Amino acid sequence: MLKPVHRKASLFLIALAVFYLILAYRLESFTAGPIGADTMPKILGWLLILLSVILFFFKDQETEEEKQSRRIAKNDLIKMAGVLLLTFCYIFLLERVGFIVTSFLFIWLCSWFLGYQKHVKNIVTAVLFPVVLYSLFTFMLGIALPSGILPF
Amino acid sequence: MGSLEGILSGVQLAFSFQGLLFVFLGVVAGTLIGMMPGLGPISAIAIMIPITYNMDPAVALVLMAGVYYGAVFGGSTSSILLNAPGISGTVATTFDGYPMAQRGEAGKALAIAAISSFVGGTISVILLMLFAPVLSNIAIQFGPAEYFALMVLGLTAISSLADGSTIKALISAVTGIMAVTIGIDSQTGTTRFTFGNPNLLEGIDFLVVALGLFAIAEVCALIINRHESPERNGSIGSLKLTKKDLKDMSGPMGRQSFLGFILGILPGSGATIGSFMGYISEKKIAKNPEEFGKGSVKGVAAPETANNAATSGAFVPLLSLGIPGSGTTAVLLGALLVLDIQPGPLLVQDQPALFWGVIISMYIGNVFLLILNLPLIPYIAKILAIPRPMLISMVIMFSMIGVYAISFNTFDLYLLLIFGAIGYIMRLFKFPAAPFILAFILGGMMEESFRQAMTISNNDITVFVTQPIAMSLLLIALLSFIVPIVQNTRRKKAEQK
Repeated sequence: MLKPVHRKASLFLIALAVFYLILAYRLESFTAGPIGADTMPKILGWLLILLSVILFFFKDQETEEEKQSRRIAKNDLIKMAGVLLLTFCYIFLLERVGFIVTSFLFIWLCSWFLGYQKHVKNIVTAVLFPVVLYSLFTFMLGIALPSGILPF
Repeated sequence: MGSLEGILSGVQLAFSFQGLLFVFLGVVAGTLIGMMPGLGPISAIAIMIPITYNMDPAVALVLMAGVYYGAVFGGSTSSILLNAPGISGTVATTFDGYPMAQRGEAGKALAIAAISSFVGGTISVILLMLFAPVLSNIAIQFGPAEYFALMVLGLTAISSLADGSTIKALISAVTGIMAVTIGIDSQTGTTRFTFGNPNLLEGIDFLVVALGLFAIAEVCALIINRHESPERNGSIGSLKLTKKDLKDMSGPMGRQSFLGFILGILPGSGATIGSFMGYISEKKIAKNPEEFGKGSVKGVAAPETANNAATSGAFVPLLSLGIPGSGTTAVLLGALLVLDIQPGPLLVQDQPALFWGVIISMYIGNVFLLILNLPLIPYIAKILAIPRPMLISMVIMFSMIGVYAISFNTFDLYLLLIFGAIGYIMRLFKFPAAPFILAFILGGMMEESFRQAMTISNNDITVFVTQPIAMSLLLIALLSFIVPIVQNTRRKKAEQK
């Protein structure tokens, strides 16, 4: 019964809607009129449940090709997880170490990790791109990106 | 003083050496700034304010107009090349611009964008000259009830943004509105769905959602296809448009110049709604609507014409009433006040040279934009020749910095990743992202105007059907929702026979 993937999606959405509705019913509304801060969320929650139920009973014939497109090779999954990890590190270090150094490390490591073999080109770009962006933002546009451990 | 004399003195100002120089500088600076992620016309103009402190007000305004146009165009380039819309007005451009660039026709896509921006900008400036005083009177009749109706009309577009399943598009839209309910409710001050996190109080920024759902989700797909090194590397296709392309473009350009302009006049809607409505209305009347979303010429021309036309439309209430209709024109109003200019009904009478000078330099700005950008396209499009692994790292960093530069908060960067994941999962399960972002943009305004209208009318819901403008808009919305369904059922019945 749960074989078609859209049914799984539908159940997930119903769960999401229920969670949203629980929070919506807990909202305090201070207005005297019939329309408070909680009106719209309640409508939305019920609407999502309704739509998800319709989706559940919908005849959705997936072609084999579409199913295939959802299957991600193990190798690709590792790469995606790796990029995600690098991005987390990037966000974590951005304000601590500064924009230029972090961005250099990110572009260099991430491009290398994804299989870019030309190391010299990689390093040159990884240095130039952040430096140009940094000077543009900080000196010309007056938007100060974190300088971090570098003195300027 | 007649308006003809005013126009003449405006021409004189705009065509002076100084005038031309500053329009040119403005367009260049605006394009560059607009290409930066997260920086749109608002930031571009704000950045210009300190520069214009000691300038002659007329010249300063000319510069601002150039910057404004440049920034709007600059935003489309990252939409087309990287699927990374930096501002909301260029989201609709990604729908067909990016597929076209993927097909190896980046040059053509950018050329279409440049030409339709030019046409949209030019026609709408003419409209601005002709109708500014009349139109501003209509615009001020737009109260909350009318806005609500307008937003509803915008939302009916969702079904036409669905590619495939309407029900999935509707679900996507509902979750989009849900996302916008996060934060402090502006009317009652109640905090909604923030889980006690102070970072969520102000709600989720548009840019986080747009870059997440489009750019970061695209990065995930690029990681999987990272080995694909398309032959088009280095070649961006021809810039030349065929006669058929031009013929295809002319319809949307003509129609969307008017529609975009009208939507631009209405305060609060502007380029974003203009571009979405432009895209959707062209898809509805197109002979082959199935081409949309796959790199259709019309699909690029329509939103690009409309967002530029809306940009000039937004000047109508600003110049004639002194009321800013959008975030950008609000900043512009600030800039005007700094220059000691009080825009309003008296501006045309008291300072006709200034008034017409600005309008005419908007026209010149458009011309500059075209002759400046067409030759630059091959260089801009070189972005696509960057090897995939490098491109992926750069797009991630680019999006991060775009978000960081507006919020200076790393929390938003984590949110960006979350929306990237949501966007990618939506793709895998074939839920379209466009209705989500459209609902996200319209949802907040819709709730607000609905509640304001109810408050004003003492909670009398009939306010939406007794006001003529609101009622007609709702009627159009109803029709545009029902007609396709009826047509579909008829077609199915005919097929069964």
